[in-house]
Amino acid sequence: MSFQEKFVEADGFRIRYLEAGKGEPLVWFHGGGGLQLNKMHELLAEKRRVVAFECPGFGESPVNERTNSMAELAGTMGKAIAALAIDKFCVTGISFGGKLALWTAILNPEKVSAAVLFAPAAIRPPNTRPPTDPAQFRAMLFAHPERLPPMPPPNPELARKSIGFAMRIIGPDRDADMEARMKECKVPVLVLLGTEDSLIPTAMGRHYRELLPDCHVVMVYDAAHALDVERPEACAAVTDDFLTRQDKFVVSNERGVIFP
Amino acid sequence: MKAALFSPVAYHGNASPGWPVPADVYSQESAAHSFNTALDRFRLADEIGFDWVTVAEHHFSPFSLTPNPMLLAGALTQVVKKAKIAVLGPTLPMLNPVRVAEEFAMLDTITGGRVVAGLMRGTPNEYVTYNVNPEESRSRFQEGLHLLRMAWTEPQPFGWQGRHYEFRAISVWPRPVQKPHPPIYMSGSSPESGEFAAKNHVGLGFAVTTLPLATKAAAHYRTHAEAAGWKPTADDVIYRCAIHVADSDEQAQADMANMPPQRRFSISNPALEQAVAGTSYYGRDFEAQRNRVGRPGAIRDAVENGQILLGSPETVMKQIKRIRDDIGAGILDLIFMHPEDDKARRAIEIFGAKMLPRLHEME
Repeated sequence: MSFQEKFVEADGFRIRYLEAGKGEPLVWFHGGGGLQLNKMHELLAEKRRVVAFECPGFGESPVNERTNSMAELAGTMGKAIAALAIDKFCVTGISFGGKLALWTAILNPEKVSAAVLFAPAAIRPPNTRPPTDPAQFRAMLFAHPERLPPMPPPNPELARKSIGFAMRIIGPDRDADMEARMKECKVPVLVLLGTEDSLIPTAMGRHYRELLPDCHVVMVYDAAHALDVERPEACAAVTDDFLTRQDKFVVSNERGVIFP
Repeated sequence: MKAALFSPVAYHGNASPGWPVPADVYSQESAAHSFNTALDRFRLADEIGFDWVTVAEHHFSPFSLTPNPMLLAGALTQVVKKAKIAVLGPTLPMLNPVRVAEEFAMLDTITGGRVVAGLMRGTPNEYVTYNVNPEESRSRFQEGLHLLRMAWTEPQPFGWQGRHYEFRAISVWPRPVQKPHPPIYMSGSSPESGEFAAKNHVGLGFAVTTLPLATKAAAHYRTHAEAAGWKPTADDVIYRCAIHVADSDEQAQADMANMPPQRRFSISNPALEQAVAGTSYYGRDFEAQRNRVGRPGAIRDAVENGQILLGSPETVMKQIKRIRDDIGAGILDLIFMHPEDDKARRAIEIFGAKMLPRLHEME
C-alpha cells in the first residue's frame, strides 16, 4: 500500500497530505514531531481511505504564525477535510494530533462517526513537557528502540520549528474550555495509551472516561509514547475494530472453533 | 525474620510412576486424608504463630493435590485466622491473568488484606497441562504480571491490547484490600527472572534450589534493583526448604534414619522435559537452570547445601542464620518433611515454641 503525496488549499493554507486506500475516510493527525507514517497506517489503508494531513507549520510548510490555538487549528483542518469533499469520516491522531482529533470531533459531531486518540496530549500530568535532548526524546518515544529498524535522524531545524509551533498552541495541561466541551461530545471515542509511556501515562485515561459520555480506554502493552510505531498490528487491529463496530467492539467476534 | 509453613498437600496413598501420573490405583480416602492432614497443619501453624501459610500449584500428580491453589487458599480463609495466606503461586502463563487478579482480590477481601501473591512460571511439565507453548513462557508471564497489576489498581474500566492477551473491558470487583495491591513475589532463580523482578519492583522467591545458587541469584537481583533505583529488604526475599527439627541433634538424625521408605511422586517426565528444554524456557543460563538441583543425594549434602534444615533448635537456628546472611532472605518457607504425622507435628510444635520467637527477633 503506497501513500500518494497531495496538497489541498484551505483556510488560506496550502496543506500537504498523504493518501492511500479506499472505503470510509479515516483522517490522521500527526504528533508534535511532524508527519511520518508507519506500518499501522498501511494496515489501516487496507480497509479504509486514509488521509494523513501535515498541519500548517509542520514539515516543509512555512512557519505558521497565524494559528493560535488547537481549536483554531481544528477549524482549519475541518475546512481541509471539507475541501476534499469528505462529508463523513472518522478522525484519529497521536499526541498533539490526538488533541487535534478530539477538537475535530467536538467541533464536527455530525460529520465525525468516531474518534481514536493515540496517547493524546489533550490532558497531561502537571508541567509535562517533552524532553529537548534528542536521546531523551527518543527514549520517551520508544520502550524498545532496539527492536525498531534504524531511522534517519530528524532534520533539527524542521523539528525545532514543528515542536516550537506545537508547544505554542498546545494549550494548558488541563484545558477547562475543552473539558467542558468534552462532556457534551456525543462522538464515540477510543483512547489508546502505551503502558510504558512516561509523557502521557496510562492514568490519564481516567479523565477521558470521566469526561466523555461515550469513551473506551485500551492500554497498548509494552509501548511508549510512539505506540503506533512500536505496536502497529495491535494498534491497527483495535482501531479498525472500534471504527467498524464502535461500542459493540467490547463483544468478541473471534471464532473459538479450532477444528470444525 | 518471618516463618511460613508450606504444604504441597501430597497424596497419602500409593500411585503409579511417570507423569502425567495414572489414576489407576487412586484412593478417595487417601486423598481426603491428605487434605485433612494439610488443613490440620495449616491450622496448627496459625495457632502457633507462623507468619504465613503457603500453597502452590501443580498438576496431574500425587506430588501435590492442589492444581488450583486459589481454591485451597479459599478454604484456608476459614481455617487460618492470623497468618497471611501466601499463594506461591498460580502458574501465570497458563492462566487468564484477569481471573487470577479477581481471585486474589477475593481472597484479600475475605481475609481483610492477608493475601500474598506469588506468581510462577510453572515446571516444564505444567506446559502440557493446559497446552501452552513453553517457548512463550517468559513473555506470557511478564505481560500477565503487568496486566494483573493494572487490573488491581486501575479504577476505570480499561481494555488491554497485549501480545498474548486481548481484553476490551476490565474492571475487577472486589478490589484488593491492600494498597496499592497485595505484595507480589515471583520465582527468581534464573538471571532473567531476577532482572525482571528488580526492574518491576517485585519480591523474589527461591525454591528447588541450593544455598549457593540462591545466594548468587539474590545478589544478581539486588544489583539490578539498585540499578532500578530501589533496595530490596529482607521481606522481599523468600527461601523455601525442607526442615526436620527435634529436641536434640541425635533425635533429629535418628528420626531421619528411621523414616519409612519415602514415596517419591513425580512432577517430571524426562522426554517431556527434554522437549521443553529445546525451547527458550530455561533462558540464557540454560545448563545451570536445567540442572539446578540434580538428583537427590545424601541428607548430609542436602543439609550442607541449605536444602534441608536438620537438627536441634540450636543447630537449625545456625542453619537459618546462614540463609539470612548469605541470601538476605527474610521469609523462610518451610516444608516439614517427616512423613510420619506425629513427628512432623512435633517438629512444628518445637519450631513454634523454641525457634519462632528467636526468628522474629532476627533482623
